[in-house]
Amino acid sequence: MISAGFAASVAQGILMIALAPLFAGVLCKLKARMQRRSGCGLLQPYRDVAKLFRKAEKVSDSASWLFRAVPYACFGSMALLSFMTPFMLAEVAAPFGDLVAMVYVFTLYRFMMVLGGLEGGSVFGGMGSSRETMMSVLIEPSLLLAVMALAGLAGGGTDMGGIPGSLIGMGVIVLSPALILAAASFFITLLAENARIPFDNPSTHLELTMVHEGMLLEYSGRGLGLMELSSMMRLTIFASMLCSLFFPWGIALSPALPDLAAGLASVLLKMLAAMAAIALIESYLAKYRLFKLPNLLTASFALSLLAMISLYIL
Amino acid sequence: MDPALAGNLIDLCAVAMLLLSMLAMTTTRMGQLLNAFAAQSLFLAALAFVVGDVTGHSRIWTIGAITLAVKVVLIPRFLKYTSDRIHVGRDIDSTMGIPGSLLISAVLIIVAYIVAEPLVATLETITRNCLAMSMSVILIGLFMMVTRRKAMTEAIGLLMMENGLFLGVMSLSYGMPLVVELGIFFDVLMAAVIIGIFAQRISKTFDSIDTSVLRRLRE
Amino acid sequence: MSLEIELILLMPVAGALASLLSPGRIAALATSAASALALLFAAAACAGPLLDGPAIEYGPWYADGLSAVFLLLTCIVCLASSVYSYGYISEDRREGAVGHRDERRYYVMLNLFSAAMMAVCVVGSMGIMWIAIEVTTLISAFLVGFYKREADVEASWKYLMICSVGITLGLMGIVLMYASSAHILGESPDALEWPVLYGAAAGLDPTLMKMAFAFVIIGFGTKMGLVPMHTWLPDAHSQSPTPVSAMLSAALLNCALYAILRFLMITEIAVPGFASTILICFGALSLAAAGAFILISRDFKRMLAYSSIEHMGIIAIGFGIGSPLAVFGALIHVMAHSLTKPLMFFSAGNVIQGYGTRNMDEIRGLRKSMPFTAFMAAAGAAALGGMPPFSVFVGEATVIWGAVDSGMHALAAAMAVLLVLVFAGLTRSVLGMMRGDPGREVREPGGASRASAMAALLAATLALGLFMPDWLGDALRSIAEWFSGGAR
Repeated sequence: MISAGFAASVAQGILMIALAPLFAGVLCKLKARMQRRSGCGLLQPYRDVAKLFRKAEKVSDSASWLFRAVPYACFGSMALLSFMTPFMLAEVAAPFGDLVAMVYVFTLYRFMMVLGGLEGGSVFGGMGSSRETMMSVLIEPSLLLAVMALAGLAGGGTDMGGIPGSLIGMGVIVLSPALILAAASFFITLLAENARIPFDNPSTHLELTMVHEGMLLEYSGRGLGLMELSSMMRLTIFASMLCSLFFPWGIALSPALPDLAAGLASVLLKMLAAMAAIALIESYLAKYRLFKLPNLLTASFALSLLAMISLYIL
Repeated sequence: MDPALAGNLIDLCAVAMLLLSMLAMTTTRMGQLLNAFAAQSLFLAALAFVVGDVTGHSRIWTIGAITLAVKVVLIPRFLKYTSDRIHVGRDIDSTMGIPGSLLISAVLIIVAYIVAEPLVATLETITRNCLAMSMSVILIGLFMMVTRRKAMTEAIGLLMMENGLFLGVMSLSYGMPLVVELGIFFDVLMAAVIIGIFAQRISKTFDSIDTSVLRRLRE
Repeated sequence: MSLEIELILLMPVAGALASLLSPGRIAALATSAASALALLFAAAACAGPLLDGPAIEYGPWYADGLSAVFLLLTCIVCLASSVYSYGYISEDRREGAVGHRDERRYYVMLNLFSAAMMAVCVVGSMGIMWIAIEVTTLISAFLVGFYKREADVEASWKYLMICSVGITLGLMGIVLMYASSAHILGESPDALEWPVLYGAAAGLDPTLMKMAFAFVIIGFGTKMGLVPMHTWLPDAHSQSPTPVSAMLSAALLNCALYAILRFLMITEIAVPGFASTILICFGALSLAAAGAFILISRDFKRMLAYSSIEHMGIIAIGFGIGSPLAVFGALIHVMAHSLTKPLMFFSAGNVIQGYGTRNMDEIRGLRKSMPFTAFMAAAGAAALGGMPPFSVFVGEATVIWGAVDSGMHALAAAMAVLLVLVFAGLTRSVLGMMRGDPGREVREPGGASRASAMAALLAATLALGLFMPDWLGDALRSIAEWFSGGAR
């Protein structure tokens, strides 16, 4: 007999995958509105992905089977994460879904993408890959430290499903510097990981600046569709971690239907706020020079380190 | 005020002060630096108000109000005026890159924590947790004075050290006797004014406020 | 209510006002008169506490025997410097190095500087003492950079920055000490008063006091010129006008020392053995490092500045050892240094104004060109190097004796070797200037004011070495007994 909690958590994973393009569309729309453009429709990302899936795929002669395998691996890792991350319900379907595993699944995703970029054999793919590798070296420690600080604050190990409950249980105490610092650091990591401004411009194909898009340049058809979809899922997963792990208030702690509905409503609101914040930053800032990025990432590292330290100091 | 909430607010103010110190490490523009200092002082004043509210000492309110007047308004205004007069450029003036100085700041925070930890155990104030933060702010200010080359940035490093010191005063003992505290404020103000005068003098004598030109005197 | 302390401090303040309102020459006279009166009042006020009487204690003031020694020394140095300034600054004006307004500003600052230093010695609250010390930095920064040439601006900036940082750390020490007393004294406004703290010293929290003393020794040690926080000192001493150099070296360093001693006495009770060990280490380090710099320094005033660091090292060792004998020696040494160093600086001032250079390699034939200054410089160098029968010798010998007496043979031996080295370096440099031919026409800067100040100082340091009056010896001995833990 499948428990109600498990069913609900599986449903929440599927929901996250299904909603991922919608959040991308919301972000796009918000950003357009902030820049006084009308922008595309909210559902445009669904249409884009569907279109890509219908198209034929062209593969470079020099590429091996790995090139074809990469999109599936990327999508698979993101799908796995969708089942590991709380969204509207604290309980998650994947029982081994802890924070360390989360960080390494993200690393796996990045690693596959870098391989894909290199496999294509084009200059831009290689360049994008090398830049991505440089950034990941800087991102990973601060991401790990930020989530560790969170786990330390919750005091209940690194199990993602347990964190929201223990944070809510702590009451007002939890609004401590450690949480704020870790959240700030995590937010910077979110921008960096998802190739947003000021780290990368998701809507450019200018060879001098692109990082993430460079690696996708050789992909087409179904492969590109999968890659785009997993990018959107990554954004959704990161944002929902911010909303459900760092600021879990409103999340459903039990799989009862009214709780679930309230949890869904609150998480959607929080996601909307997160998207608005990203859109605001993207409208307000320009992309940084590549060589200034380490400054920002070191700042993020310092923030998460501070979060970690303040757990012990305060 | 609810003690837990007050404790959180105090911690937040202290952390914000520390963050602003680190922000000051990353910035090279005079305007931003002055704003960072003013904001840091603002958090210091806010902290004083929270502490004053919790403990009920009117003396701490006074200290907060003076901080607000002297450190948030007067000193930044005066330094802004000075830096406008001597045309502080925007070029990078640190002898060390930004990531490097941030990482060293992080190390300094850990050092401060190690130094402060045995002390915290002996204290009974609600602000005692801020001691490590205070020492960090002092150490980072010191580090800033060592690595920065412009007279004005060195001065801000010194003022930030003093902010850290006041945080330490709050953290250790809810402030010193009022007479002493007032005298210290007066001294800080005088120091800022005199530093401004000397910065102008350096810029007049050397045609630069880069203190790396100050290297005539050595064995 | 008595006003004895206010009277002392009022004199330099009145001198500052008079200097502000009167033309240069009168300002100089007013300054000298004010310092002389301050010395007079100080002597009158200090007679009580010094001669085993009760400490003066009213309002914010507190003066016991230790304060009396430091206050009198400060007053003497200020008097000597203001008398010497009369001739020195007039010469500068004749040469056009300073203008009319600068001269007046100089005397105003000099008076305020004296007032701040005197205040350090007589306030009771450690917090107010800190404020007074910070004020000395702020005021003297103007005096250090008085000539406004490049090197002066550099020296004053360094001085201002390094000493402000140091003093900020020192304040942290005071705060920590205040916190350590919170659980016995509560948050009373008196909890920073030295006598109150001294009375409660046994109950102070040892962890906090250790940290407090570490901050204090770094903070006030910067101001006192202990190695490695001494870097401002040679610059400031060499660039400031000579009378100011003398005041910095002979009075300002003493003020910082005085603050450290006050902390030392409290910390020694709260955590026995901790503070004194630190002080001995810093003292030995200063002695060794400054000794090396004296040997290589070619700039007359810088050499003297390093000699100040060296003497501060000896004094720190003496107080650090803490036995009545060593403290007695250190007290004599403080006095001897404060009397001898101005003499040496004044000689250097004459030489530098006459020759127009501070580089000792370019100064030759002093004996021929300026016989009086040459005599004073030779006598001063002998005194400063610790040759008997001058008082510095008595001080050094007593401190070394105290070290041997307390079983610190290695320290005593190292001190003896270093002092011989320093003596050799000092005499070699000074005597080197005596010989030979000036190579050009050099006029000796004359004037009764300079000559009288120097002659008086020489007589004083000689007298202190040869015929120390019994009452002074007894007074110092009783302070030493009290300092090292005995009852007064």
